[in-house]
Amino acid sequence: MRLVRIWFDKTGEAKYISHLDLMRCFTRAIRRARIPLWYTEGFNPHPYMQFSLPLSLGMQSVCESVDIRIEGEMSDEDMLSALKEVMPMGIDVKKITEPKFDPKYIAYGDFYITFKDVPDKAKMLKILSDVFAADRLIVEKLGKKGRHKVMKEINLKEHIRHSYVKETETDVIVNLILPAGSTTNINPSLFSDKIIEIYGENMAVDILRNRLLLENMKEFK
Amino acid sequence: MINRNVEKVLPLVQKPARYTGGELNSVVKDKDSVDLRYAFCFPDSYEIGMSHLGMKILYSIANEREDCWCERVFAPWVDMEEQMRKNNIPLFALESGDSIKDFDILGFTLQYELSYTNVLNMLDLAGIPVRASERTSLTPIVFAGGPCACNPEPMADFIDLFVLGEGEEVNNEILDLLKECKKSGASKKEFLVRASRIGGVYVPSLYDVEYNEDFTLKSVTATEGAPEKVTKRIISDLDKVYYPKTFIVPFIDVVHDRVVQEIFRGCIRGCRFCQAGFIYRPIREKQPDTINCQAKILCDVTGYDEISLSSLSTSDYTHLSELLDKMLSWTIDEKINVALPSLRVDNFSDELMEKLKKVRKSGLTFAPEAGTQRLRDAINKNVTEEEVLNTSRMSFEGGWTAVKLYFMLGLPTETFEDVAGIPALAQKVVDEYYKCENRVKGKGVNVNISVSTFVPKPFTPFQWDAQDTMETVIEKQNYLISCVPSKKIGVSYHHVDTSFMEAVFARGDRRLGNVIEQAWKNGCKFDGWDDQFKFETWLEAFRNCSVEPEFYANRKREYDEILPWDHLDFGVRKQFLINESEKARKSETTPHCRIKCAGCGTNKLNGGKCDALSQNMV
Ligand code: SF4
Repeated sequence: MRLVRIWFDKTGEAKYISHLDLMRCFTRAIRRARIPLWYTEGFNPHPYMQFSLPLSLGMQSVCESVDIRIEGEMSDEDMLSALKEVMPMGIDVKKITEPKFDPKYIAYGDFYITFKDVPDKAKMLKILSDVFAADRLIVEKLGKKGRHKVMKEINLKEHIRHSYVKETETDVIVNLILPAGSTTNINPSLFSDKIIEIYGENMAVDILRNRLLLENMKEFK
Repeated sequence: MINRNVEKVLPLVQKPARYTGGELNSVVKDKDSVDLRYAFCFPDSYEIGMSHLGMKILYSIANEREDCWCERVFAPWVDMEEQMRKNNIPLFALESGDSIKDFDILGFTLQYELSYTNVLNMLDLAGIPVRASERTSLTPIVFAGGPCACNPEPMADFIDLFVLGEGEEVNNEILDLLKECKKSGASKKEFLVRASRIGGVYVPSLYDVEYNEDFTLKSVTATEGAPEKVTKRIISDLDKVYYPKTFIVPFIDVVHDRVVQEIFRGCIRGCRFCQAGFIYRPIREKQPDTINCQAKILCDVTGYDEISLSSLSTSDYTHLSELLDKMLSWTIDEKINVALPSLRVDNFSDELMEKLKKVRKSGLTFAPEAGTQRLRDAINKNVTEEEVLNTSRMSFEGGWTAVKLYFMLGLPTETFEDVAGIPALAQKVVDEYYKCENRVKGKGVNVNISVSTFVPKPFTPFQWDAQDTMETVIEKQNYLISCVPSKKIGVSYHHVDTSFMEAVFARGDRRLGNVIEQAWKNGCKFDGWDDQFKFETWLEAFRNCSVEPEFYANRKREYDEILPWDHLDFGVRKQFLINESEKARKSETTPHCRIKCAGCGTNKLNGGKCDALSQNMV
């Protein structure tokens, strides 16, 4: 039995696949690829499968990974080519590696937030530079208090580790590093929703998870 | 393929993956290289539609043709519809993302009466006039099939042609004709007249309907050389007919998400209330080898870990034991479950029980349908109390602790004594549990009674009967509850108003077209969903159109009345139905088809052959 980490992108229409659906989708893909999964013993055997960090519905990513346990002989290259054959559109398996870090050490996510076809780019850029100059950016976040769900106010600025803004002909792109992982998790849509609220007009936003980072800002591998 | 406008609204709706397409094994073609674009429309949500076997079959068959690209369309859920209407997004097909307005042919499947308003809503969302008479050009042709097509009259104003019976062959014949008519520049009328010559095709606009003063039918007259009677189509040999080599694998959880293998068509039982039991006759069995091979191929290409064997009554399949041996020989190793829905209680042998232990232990369900032997005899549900209790005991010994029992209220000849028999039977099942020495220790038993309201349906011996009024049904429901002796027995109901509406449309005529249109205009859709169903709006539509719904639901017909579906022939002889109806009044049973052919007449559709009969002769 050995543990392998499958790395994949989740882009395009695949961003609408929820985490739960993705798990089912992988189970089936692995069966189709005839990868010799290891099953637990007992009355209701099930395979071992753990995703590094669930991705929110609607987000794209180029840094997803899932760990599976396999038994029997199948090389990483063979697994990779078998998986590539059977994945649905938008889920592109890139490589298979030996897991280096435990997913529980993931601390940050590196995101690209793209405001698409921004009507007034100058206005948007001004808003962003104001926001990044200020000390506070208060947003409401759904949190838990005991067993209840409550709205909590948080200051996003305290959580942003890095930010960078660039523009293309039609879009404005913000690169952010935010806490992500089992302890603190800040969804980048809190930022984009707030910016759109300040801007005062709805527009399409694309969020891409680019990298997952450890506490020391080294890449999760 | 998602088009840009749709993309914008997807973040605003629930379960966006309903609208994206792109699932594994969905078929994408080059639209410029096909002659026909075909939208297979399922008038309900994605999750319901994607669970439907007929759609998988017909989708695959149409896409086998190089000249045709068949795509899927479902009814957008209400949140999505709101966004689509607000942003002027016309109804689109999932594979291409293209609006279906310019497609050549739209095929709806009518699985239940309460989806009719969704058909109109989908046409409207596509920007297509809902009335057939207002669609004057050749394309798009709007056709429909499925079990409700056995009385399609309420939808006659909206649909250009109906397919009666099984669609595997006739759909292709329609596509061929349409392709030819497109090439030759024929008119819609020419197409329809020629289509009416195809066996199993019913073109409602070619039939003139006249009414008597009391609104019963006076006559239905074929014109333009259309056949006086349209006979349903059947597939003669299930081992030879096309079966999909792949299934689309949805991302989101749908109702039935697994490999499905049909094992036979038709039913040997002849329960008098059951439409499916008559309209899918004659019996045609599929060979175990065919089923096993097809199931294996499908598991390989989908990665599913469950196979469901589908039929109206799984345990009546003559080769069930052989089939299970064949399948279990590889499914156990591959950790695939074999599910057997629709098991009957009576022929549940010890041997079968042993095999079932190896397959998936899902909930145990029985359908005695009626509470007393007298009424079970009247409806020809040939199940005895002893059989129910025996099978319960066997399954309690096999480790089950919950049983679900299905019943109907309002069956013809039903009395309050019969109603009281329902909880009484459930209590006997409870008692059986506590008598059983080998039951699971330390666990109580759960017996759930699910009660639906009887809906009289065309092509059954009860097609002339009145449905109980809603008041009577409610009275019976209350009485039933008052008779429940134990907390171990749970009772659940269906709403009476939806059953009433079903009864209206099941035996309705063309006068209902206006009502459906008006109800839809006033906001009725997804009527099969309790949280969407608007009974008051429906009643208002009936009033405004001066149509009395009770005329259809609660009126007893005479045997000689012309029924709205009399010009459609599903192979079942009318005299056979009358005989069965008469026997019901006397609580006389009819043995099932393996004991003796009851002469239903459907074997004529298959050149005199019926697999129930051939079994009989050996
Ligand atoms: S032809 Fe006879 S055996 Fe066949 S379904 Fe009809 S009644 Fe049954």
